[in-house]
Amino acid sequence: MGGLDYVGKRILRKDGPLKVTGQATYTVDIRPSGLLTGRILRSPHPHARILNIDISRALQLAGVRAVITAKDAPGIKHGFVETPRYPADQWPLAANRVRYVGEEIAAVAAVDSHVAAEALSLIRVDYEPLPAVFEPEEAMGTDAPEIHPRHPKITDPFSNIAGKTDSGWGDVAEGFARSHYVREDRFQSHLRTHGYLEPQVTVADFESSGKLNVWTSSQGPFIKRAKLARTLGLAQSAVRIHQAYVGGAFGGKIDLFSHEFCAALLSLKSGRPVKIEASRDEIFSAYRHGQPLIVELKTGVKKNGALLAQQIRVINNCGAYRGSGAVIIFLSWGFVMLPYRLPNLKYEGFAVYTNNSVRAPQRGHGAPQIRFAVDSQLDMIAAELGMDPIAIRLKNARQSGESLPNGDNVHNCGLSQCIQKAADHTGFQQKYGRKRSTAGPTDPVRRGIGIGVSSYFSGSLIYPNSSSVVVKMNDDGSATLLTGALDIGQGAETILCQIVAEELKIPMDEIEVIAADTETTPVDIGSWISGNAYVTGNAARVAATEVRKKLLELAAEELEANPDDLVVANKSVYVAGSPDRRLSYGQLIAAGIRKRRGDPLIGEGHWRTMKDVPFHPSLATTKGRWSENYAFDAQVAEVEVDTETGVVRLLRAVTAHDCGFPINPLLVEGQIDGQVSMALGHAFMEEVRMEAGRTLNPSFLEYRMPTIHQVAVSEHIDVITESYQKDRPYRTKEVGEGYVSAILAAIANAIYDAVGVRLFETPFTPEKILKGLGKI
Amino acid sequence: MVEYTGKRLIQLNINGEQFSLAVEPQETLLEVLRNQLGLTGTKDGCGTGECGACTVLMDGKPQLACLLLAIDCQQVKITTIEGLSTGRQLTSVQEAFLEEGAVQCGFCTPGMVLATSALLTENSRPSEKEIKKALEGHLCRCTGYNKIISAVQQASAKMTRNVT
Ligand code: FES
Ligand code: FES
Repeated sequence: MGGLDYVGKRILRKDGPLKVTGQATYTVDIRPSGLLTGRILRSPHPHARILNIDISRALQLAGVRAVITAKDAPGIKHGFVETPRYPADQWPLAANRVRYVGEEIAAVAAVDSHVAAEALSLIRVDYEPLPAVFEPEEAMGTDAPEIHPRHPKITDPFSNIAGKTDSGWGDVAEGFARSHYVREDRFQSHLRTHGYLEPQVTVADFESSGKLNVWTSSQGPFIKRAKLARTLGLAQSAVRIHQAYVGGAFGGKIDLFSHEFCAALLSLKSGRPVKIEASRDEIFSAYRHGQPLIVELKTGVKKNGALLAQQIRVINNCGAYRGSGAVIIFLSWGFVMLPYRLPNLKYEGFAVYTNNSVRAPQRGHGAPQIRFAVDSQLDMIAAELGMDPIAIRLKNARQSGESLPNGDNVHNCGLSQCIQKAADHTGFQQKYGRKRSTAGPTDPVRRGIGIGVSSYFSGSLIYPNSSSVVVKMNDDGSATLLTGALDIGQGAETILCQIVAEELKIPMDEIEVIAADTETTPVDIGSWISGNAYVTGNAARVAATEVRKKLLELAAEELEANPDDLVVANKSVYVAGSPDRRLSYGQLIAAGIRKRRGDPLIGEGHWRTMKDVPFHPSLATTKGRWSENYAFDAQVAEVEVDTETGVVRLLRAVTAHDCGFPINPLLVEGQIDGQVSMALGHAFMEEVRMEAGRTLNPSFLEYRMPTIHQVAVSEHIDVITESYQKDRPYRTKEVGEGYVSAILAAIANAIYDAVGVRLFETPFTPEKILKGLGKI
Repeated sequence: MVEYTGKRLIQLNINGEQFSLAVEPQETLLEVLRNQLGLTGTKDGCGTGECGACTVLMDGKPQLACLLLAIDCQQVKITTIEGLSTGRQLTSVQEAFLEEGAVQCGFCTPGMVLATSALLTENSRPSEKEIKKALEGHLCRCTGYNKIISAVQQASAKMTRNVT
C-alpha cells in the first residue's frame, strides 16, 4: 500500500510488441486505395532566378494526375521561427528564385513512381544563375552576394544576417582585468545529419467533404497542422493529422517540409490520396541537416580556477532560409549559462544565410558544439593553472537552488555529484596525465581520459507551450488515455501510461493509448524541446488524479465512508483497515450510471513548463525565462589513440546524470546509449561533405554512421535529485538531448590526455591527430 | 525512363503460403511485399542495400529485399517478420528485444529480429564478435547497439536453456 507500482520502474515499452512483430504502422506503411505517387522537382543551382517554368508536357503525359508550381499555391511563406523580428522567409515552392541546390520548384502526382519520374523530366525550367556564397564568414562580407535582397536587414552593414542574439551580464572588461589568466581560442564543428532510419514521408488524402487527412513522419502533429493549414490557406479544422509511428527524427522532422505541403496540394488538386516519400539521396542532398558552429571563446579565471568572465562570438551557417538558425544561436547562449557559475558574460551570436540547404535542430541543438568549445578550453585553463580537470569543474559547478542570470532557478542540481561520481567510478585522477600504455613504452597505442559537462532544459515556452491529457474510464474499469504526444521512439506512450497506471492503480495493459491525432486528442508541445516527460507527463498525472477524485467520491457515497479513509488499489477502492468494504472500478462506474445520469468519469490535465509566467524568452536578447527544470550531467570518455595511424577509439563512455525523477530507468538508459552512439559518430566519422552547395556523399554508404562495430561501452550512473511525492508534480528532467553534449569535449580532452594533441575542430580524424603529432 | 515489358505471373512462397502474383520484371521483392501483399513489416530505409531494414529470410538466410528482383525469388521459402511468430506468441528473440530495451523507434527492429533469428538458428551460442558480424549490415540510429547485443545474448541464453 502506498508504494510505487509503475512509475520509477523498468517497464517494457507499450508499443514494443507491435514493433517486434512488424505490426506497428509507420507513415510509409499507410496506403489508402487509389493512392498516387508524388515526386518533387528540385533546383540544380545553388542560387538562380527562375525565368520560366513550363509544365505543359508533363501535364499531357498519360498517368499524370496533377502538376503544381508556386502559381498553384496560396503564396504564404513559412519558417521554423515566425516572429515580427524573424518573419517567415520560405515559400513552400520556390516562387521566382532558388537559393540552394535541391530547393523545391514543382511537384507531380502520377499513377506510379515511374510515370512521376518521367513527368518531372518533362518540366522545363529556365534559370538565370546568380553568384552564390557558401561559407558564413564569407557571407558576412559586405561584398557578398545578397541572398534575400528584399528582407529588412537585421544588422548593418551585413546583408546576410538571418538572426542575431546579444546577451550578457556583469562587466566582462572588468572581469578580464581582474583575471589572473585569460585565454582565447577558436573552435569549429562540422556538418552532420540526423540519419533517422524512416525516410521523410507524407500521405495526404483530401476527402470530398472538404477535410484534408494527413499522415506524416514528424515530431508533433499540432505544429504540422498549424503550418500546413496556414500555407494552404485552409482553416485548421479542415486539416487532420493522423497518428502513425515514427522511425526516428532527432530534430530533423519538426517544422513544415515542402513534401508535406506538396502532397496536400496535389491531393487537393487531383482529388486522390497522394504519397510523397523522399529518397535517401534527396534526404542527404536537399533536406535539413544539423548546424556547425564557429565559436570564438575568450575566458578569464582567478588563480583558484573560478571563472570570472567569458566573451563568446558564435557564427552559424544557417543555409538559404532561416530554419532554426536564429534559435541555435540563442540556445548556445543558454548552454553556456547553465552548468557553470559565470559572473560576467558577453555573448554575441550570428546566424548567417548562405546558399546551402536549410538547417534544423539536431539532438542537442547547439549544446554539443558549444560545450565542446567551453569544456575543451576549460581543460587548457586547468593545465595552465596546475589544476586537474575535476577540481576546476567542481569549483565552478552550479549548486542546488541557484538562480540563473535569466531569472530561472535550477532547483535541485546534481552537477557536482555527477562530476565527482563519474570521476570516482572511472578512477579519473589516478589515470589522468599518465599518457598510459597497456603494452609498454614502445607500444604506439596510448590511452587517455577526459571529462565534459552539460546541462539541458526540460521543455520551454514555444508553441503550443503546453500539453493537455484526457483520461477516460471505461465500463469495465479499464482506462483510455488521450494525448497529443507522439512516440518517436523515446517511449512517450509508455511513460504516460505508467503515470496513469500509478495514479489509478490500473495495469499497463488495461490502459489504451490514443495518441497524436489532431482531431481526437488534446494539444501537445510535441516531441521536441525535450519537455515530453515533464510537461505531458504532469498533464497525464493531473488528468488521472482528477479521475481518481471522482472515483473516490463515488466510492465514499457507495461505501458510506469518508473519502479520506479510502484506498485505491488494484482497480478498486476499499476502506482503509477493512479490505472487505471494497468496490471495483467496474462496480463504481455501474453505480455512477445508476445514480448519476451516467456522468462520464473523465479527467483533464493541463501543464506547461512554467506555469503562469507570461515572458517568452527573447531570441534576440535572451531576456525572459526559459524553463523550470534543468537536467545536468558529467560524462567521462576513455579513448585509445594509435600514434602510428592516428585512429582514435572511444572505449568507454560513463554518463553520470541528474535527470530528476526517472519515470522509466530502462528508457532513460536507452536514451543515453543512443546519444553516446550519436556523439561517437559526431566525434569520429559522420560528416556531410558539401561543395558549392552540393552534397558529395548522399548515401548511408558514404555518410558513415556508427554500425554495430563502433559501439563504445556505455555506462550510466544515476544521480537522482528528485523523489516521487504523491500528488505533487513529477520533477522529471530531460534525458533525450543533453547526453550527446558533454561527451564530445570529454573525447577531445581524452585525446589530449593520451597524446598531447589538442583538437579545435570536429571530427577527430586520423589526419588531424597525425598532424598534431607532427607526423604529416 | 524505365522500359515497361509487361507484367509476368510469378509464384512466391511467403511465410508458408503460396502466392501467384503479376509483377513487373524490374519490381523488387521489397516493393512486392509491401505494395502488393501489404506485408509492411519489412521496412524500406534506403532502397540501396545500405541499412538492413528490408531484411527477410530466404530458406532461413538473411537477404536484403531491396536488392532482389521478385521474379528471382520463386524457388525459395521467404520469411518476413509477419511470419516469424504465430498468433500472439512472441519468439524468444522478439521477447529478448523487448526485455532488454533493444527497441526504440522500431524501424530497424524487424530486420534486426530476423537476422538475429537466423544467426541463432545457425549458431545458438554466438560470441560477441559473431553477433557483430551477423548484424553489421543493419543500421540502428536509436539504440547505440549495446542493448541489441544484450538482446541477442539473452535470446541465445533463453533458447539454449529451452533446448537443454
Ligand atoms: S532498404 Fe534494403 S538495405 Fe536499406
Ligand atoms: S530503434 Fe530506431 S533505428 Fe533502431
